Amino acid sequence: MISLERLTKRYPGQAEPAVLELDLVVPEGEIVVLVGPSGCGKTTTMKMINRIIEPTSGTIRLQGEDVTTSPPDELRRRIGYVIQQIGLFPHLTIAENVATVPRLLKWSTDRTRARVDELLDLVGMDPSVYRSRYPRELSGGQRQRVGVARALAADPPVMLMDEPFGAVDPIAREKLQNEFLRLQEDLGKTIVFVTHDIDEAIKMGDRIAVLREQSVIAQFDTPERILSDPADDFVAEFIGAGASLKRLGLARVRDFALAHWPVSSVSDGREAALAALQRSTADSVLLLDDQRRPVRWANRQDLSRSSTPLERVGMSVTAVVEPHATLAGALDAMVSSRVGGVVVVDGRGGYIGTVDMGVIMAAAETMRAAAHERALAVEQSDLRAADVAVDLEQEQERR
Amino acid sequence: MSFLDFLARQGERIVRLGVEHLLLVLAALAIGTAVGVALGIVVARRPRARALVLGTTGLLLTVPSFALFTLLFGLIGRLGTAVVLPGLVLYSLLPIVRNTVTGLLLVDAAVIESAKGVGMGPVRRLLRIELPLAWPVVLTGVRVSGVLLVGIAALGTLVGGPGLGELIFSGLRIIGSPNAANLALAGTLGVVVIAILLDVLFLVVARLTTSKGIR
Repeated sequence: MISLERLTKRYPGQAEPAVLELDLVVPEGEIVVLVGPSGCGKTTTMKMINRIIEPTSGTIRLQGEDVTTSPPDELRRRIGYVIQQIGLFPHLTIAENVATVPRLLKWSTDRTRARVDELLDLVGMDPSVYRSRYPRELSGGQRQRVGVARALAADPPVMLMDEPFGAVDPIAREKLQNEFLRLQEDLGKTIVFVTHDIDEAIKMGDRIAVLREQSVIAQFDTPERILSDPADDFVAEFIGAGASLKRLGLARVRDFALAHWPVSSVSDGREAALAALQRSTADSVLLLDDQRRPVRWANRQDLSRSSTPLERVGMSVTAVVEPHATLAGALDAMVSSRVGGVVVVDGRGGYIGTVDMGVIMAAAETMRAAAHERALAVEQSDLRAADVAVDLEQEQERR
Repeated sequence: MSFLDFLARQGERIVRLGVEHLLLVLAALAIGTAVGVALGIVVARRPRARALVLGTTGLLLTVPSFALFTLLFGLIGRLGTAVVLPGLVLYSLLPIVRNTVTGLLLVDAAVIESAKGVGMGPVRRLLRIELPLAWPVVLTGVRVSGVLLVGIAALGTLVGGPGLGELIFSGLRIIGSPNAANLALAGTLGVVVIAILLDVLFLVVARLTTSKGIR
């Protein structure tokens, strides 16, 4: 856990402080995203935690211990640090870069070497290929992975990440974000993540602190709540248009009731398929193979063309998602397919149900209602802090 | 006597003077590098001190070498290497200090920040990160100084210094006699050969001591 108490930074010669009496708690094992317009002091705030920037006043606690005046170099070896420009050491090999902190901590050569290989594996880079390469031989995305590996080297409980995926192209960024979230599920680090991109904040954050000038917290909440119940106009404006759409990006298909289309097995023959179609109001039937994997969409006309074998009638099934996909992903697949529904399949590809427009609308309505209820509950609660505590508990239960 | 005959007869002396010359320059360069790099490190991130040191070392370079040697002789009170060596050290400073400063300032700020971020203290940062990265630029400064000193060292003979200057000035003393041109030519060629040798030596050193990652 990291806690900041009345943290302030004044630069000499500047009338206004860059950060003004910030109080913030980053719960153990969570990603807290500091997001705000440029110049709001979010990076200054983050850099005060590892004292790259020395605070003017206030207290920083790391797992309860006051580190505001402890020796900065020792403090920094306990905190992973990833910056946008990455800052790999160009004259050192990838292995030497990753081994930086273990060497500072005087680990044995064997232990260091094993750890380097383990970390390169962890970030998806084959150690035997990349160990002895130099940073300039790597792509931007690969460098970023090495940067993360270097920060994780001595297994620090806390990580600071300053726009870590800001310098790579959008496709690589998306991939790195997903990989990092997957890593974090296992690692459970306590992370402060700085970005100016609200979409990234929503995706990465367990909690988001929306900051206005001087690092004043406009709202500190879960992504869902920030989207559904912005504290004020500043937050609403910062989220921008399309909050409902963004919310769909947070909801998982598995959490909502799926629609069921008429299905029929190819091996049961044409009559069975027609009968299944007859029994429902839908205009097409989903044909499955023997492992219940979706094969074709077929309507009545398709089925009546008896010259075509059943496994080739109608249209192929292109829009398929797994239960952990987001509703936004499902919606996207739906729009790009020609059928008004997306087939949800389990890990082996077997049919579970479908997502259609009705499911999406119902999900949006549920989320809106839930958010509204929570917002009311918060208003009624005298102690906002108590509410956060309850929230934390719920979240732990959910895990 | 043809130049080749001259070389054949005086070869041993020329080589001896050449070795003296080279050793003198290398000694001055070693001291100059130690002093210059240290100065560069100290002033690199202090704008006022930096301006002062670069200004002073620049000024030194404009003092005519004969005048500098004479002034130093007045200060030290002895002739020979005792005067020439400090003089050469002073001349070597500007390129070395300037390149050390430039090299250090060229190190990517993000690299320095991440060195701080992983918990390297100032000394470790300097030795493990900043100097190795600035090294090719520093070495270029040393190389430029080296070539500069080979030429200036030839003038050291005027205050009793060792080296190939002896040949050149012997030629000057007997100007008009048949051997004058041979002496001057041998001295000059010797200086050129040493300069080229030194240049090549530093290119090899640079190649061997620079990380593959920044070559």
